[in-house]
Amino acid sequence: MIQKKVCMIGSFGVGKTSLVARFVRSIFSEKYHTTVGVKIDRKVVEIGDKQVTLVLWDLAGEDALTTVRPSQLRGASGYILVVDGLRRATYETALDLQGRVGKAIGPVPFLCVLNKSDLRERWEVTEADVEALQQRGWPVLYGSAKSGEGVEDVFQELTTAILKVPNVRDDTASEATPRGI
Amino acid sequence: MSLASPLREVASQDADKEVPTDPYQRLRQLLLGPEQTAIAGLQQRLDKAHLRAEELSRIIAEAIVLRSRRDHALQNALNPLLEEALRVSVARNPQLLADTLFPIIGRAVRSAVANSLRAIVESLNETVERSVSWDALKWRLESLRTGKPFGEIVLARSLRYRVEQVFAIHRETGLLLAHVAREAENARENEMISGMLTAVQDFVHDSFVETEGAELDTVELGEFNVWIQHGPEALLCAVVTGTPPRELRNALQRTLEELHSNFASVLSQYDGDTESASGMRPLLEACLVGQQPREGKRTASRAWLWVALPVAGLLLALGVNWMVRRHRWNQAIENLRAEPGIVLTSEENVWRGYRLTGLRDPMAADPAEIIRRAGVDPAKVNARWEQYVSLDPRFQLPRHVAEEKARIERQVILFRVNSSQLDPEQLLRLDDVENSLRSLQGYASASGRKLEVEIAGHTDPSGQEVKNATLSQKRADEVIRALTDRGITVDTFSPVAKASQAPFEWKPGSYVPELSRRVTFRVLMHNERK
Repeated sequence: MIQKKVCMIGSFGVGKTSLVARFVRSIFSEKYHTTVGVKIDRKVVEIGDKQVTLVLWDLAGEDALTTVRPSQLRGASGYILVVDGLRRATYETALDLQGRVGKAIGPVPFLCVLNKSDLRERWEVTEADVEALQQRGWPVLYGSAKSGEGVEDVFQELTTAILKVPNVRDDTASEATPRGI
Repeated sequence: MSLASPLREVASQDADKEVPTDPYQRLRQLLLGPEQTAIAGLQQRLDKAHLRAEELSRIIAEAIVLRSRRDHALQNALNPLLEEALRVSVARNPQLLADTLFPIIGRAVRSAVANSLRAIVESLNETVERSVSWDALKWRLESLRTGKPFGEIVLARSLRYRVEQVFAIHRETGLLLAHVAREAENARENEMISGMLTAVQDFVHDSFVETEGAELDTVELGEFNVWIQHGPEALLCAVVTGTPPRELRNALQRTLEELHSNFASVLSQYDGDTESASGMRPLLEACLVGQQPREGKRTASRAWLWVALPVAGLLLALGVNWMVRRHRWNQAIENLRAEPGIVLTSEENVWRGYRLTGLRDPMAADPAEIIRRAGVDPAKVNARWEQYVSLDPRFQLPRHVAEEKARIERQVILFRVNSSQLDPEQLLRLDDVENSLRSLQGYASASGRKLEVEIAGHTDPSGQEVKNATLSQKRADEVIRALTDRGITVDTFSPVAKASQAPFEWKPGSYVPELSRRVTFRVLMHNERK
C-alpha cells in the first residue's frame, strides 16, 4: 500500500471540507479545525493497478486569524488549492498561498480547484482570471461540492502527478518555480 | 551557386585578419578557419586552470545535488575531509566553534538536564512506592536470585499495564510506517490516527512551546496513555492502558533506536510505501508487553495466601490453646469453690498466671493439689490464704480427732530422779491421756484405721547414758502398763527409749532437768489396708 500526504489549502469557507466530505472517510469531527487547526481524512485512489491512499490534511481555512502553519505542510507530496468562484478575494489568497507553500515545501505537484461550479453564473472569478492561472502553469479544474462534479478528477489527476515525481527526497526547497501538472 | 562567392564572403569577413600568402595555407584557413579558432579556444580553456575552475564553479552545486541524490558516495568521500577540516578549525580557533554552538548549547544542556531530572523524580517516586511493598521485596529477592537487574524484573512483573497498540510514524510526513495491535481493528483508521497524532503534536508544539527540541511525549486520557518517543526520522507511539512503569519508556526508546539503525535508508527515503517498512513489525510487536491487571491481582492474592495460611494456623492454635487453658482454670476455680474449708474471695488473670485470695481451714485439702489436678500448673498461681475455722460438718470429726491427738501429744508425764514410778499427781495427767485415747481408739475403729501410740521415755542428761537408756525404757513401759491397767486398748503401744537424747530445753543449751525426766506421746493413725 502506498500512502501520500496531501494538503487541502484555501481561504476560510471556500469549501475544502465540503469538497472532500462526500468522497472520503473521516473519523474526526469538524471540531478539529477550530481546535487543532487540521482535520485528517483518507481517500483511496486507483491509478492503473496501483492503489494509493491519500492522507488528506484538511487545513483550517486561511483568514485574518489563522495562517497556514509550515509544520502542517511538512512532508506533503502534493496539495490542492481551493478557490471559491463566488468570491474573488479567495482567488487572490490562493495566489499568495501558492507562493508561500512553494517556499515551505518546494515544488511538489498541486492543483487549483475552482469550487462552486454549479453557481457559475454568479461567479466573481472571470474567465480572464482562469486564463491568468493557466498561463502561470497552474493546472485548473472546476469542481462542485454540491453536485460532486469534478471532485474525483481532482484526486485522480493529483495522484497521477504525484506518482510521476521521481522517488528522491527533495531537501532543496530553493527552486521557487511552481511545478504544476 | 558557384564556390567563388562563399570564398569571397569568407575573404571579406577575415579582411581585418592577417592573410597568409601561401595559397595552401590560405585554402586551409578558408576551409578550417572557424574550427581552428574553436580548437584554440578549447585548448586555452583546458590549459588555463583558472578558466577550468571558473567553469566548474558554475556547475559544481548542481553536480553535488545530482550525485547525492543518486547514492552516498559523495558523502562518504567528503566525510573524512570534513572531519579533518573541523578538527583543524577547532585546533586553530576554538572560539569560533564555541561562538557557533553558543546559541544552541544552552538549550541542549537544559533539555538534557530537565529530562534527566524528570527521569530521576519519576524513578524516585516509583522506588518509594515500591520499596515498601511486598512486591518490591519479592522482586528484590528474584533479582538477587537470578542476577537480573531490579528494573528488568519490575518491568516484567509490573502487571498493572498493557501496551495495546504501537504506531511507527514517519516524522516528516506524518505517514504511517507500521502498526501493530493486540486485537485486530480497522487498519484503515491507523493512517488517519498517525496523521492526527502528528498534527496534534505540531499543534501543541506551535501553540505552547517555544523551545526547539521540546516534544509532546505523553497524552493521557483516563486510563489510556499514549507514550510518544521521538527520533530524528520516526516516532514511536505506544497506546497503553493502566499505569505503565518508567522502564517502558526505555524499552520504547531502545526499539526506536533499533528502527533507526536497521531501517536508516527506508526512513530517509520513505515515500509512503508501507511495504518498504513492513520489516519493522517484529520490532513493534516486541513492544506489546504487559499483562492483564486481573491476572496480576490473582497472582498477588495467591502469594498472600502463603502468608495468610500459616498466620491463620498460628492464630487458630493460639486460640485453641487459650480456650483449653481457660477451661482448665475455670475447672480449678470450680473445684476450689466446691471444696469444704476453702472460701475463694477473689480470682483474677494476671500476666502469665493467676492470682487467688481466700480463706482456708487448715483441715481443708491442699488448694495447690486441687489446682494441679485441674491441669493448671500451681507454679503459675499466686495464692494467699487466710486461715479460718470452717463450721462445715464434714470437718467436725476430723477436727475432734486432731484436737484429741494434739491434747495427748501435749501431755508430759514427769518422773523423779532415777525413778520410773508414777507419782500420784501425774496420774491426773494420765487420766486426761486415757480419755483422749479412748476417744481416738473409738474413732480409729469406726473409720477402719489402726491407732498407734508411740510412748517415749526420757531422762535428764546426768548419769551414764546406758543406765539412762534402761531408765527411759522403764519409764515408757510403766506408762504403758498404767494405761493398760486402766483398760485402754489401742492397736499398738510403741515404747521408745530416748535416754537423754531429747532433753527438754527451755531455750537452746539450757535444759531444765526436772522437765526432762518424762514420758511423751505421739499419736499415729494408719490406714488398715496398708
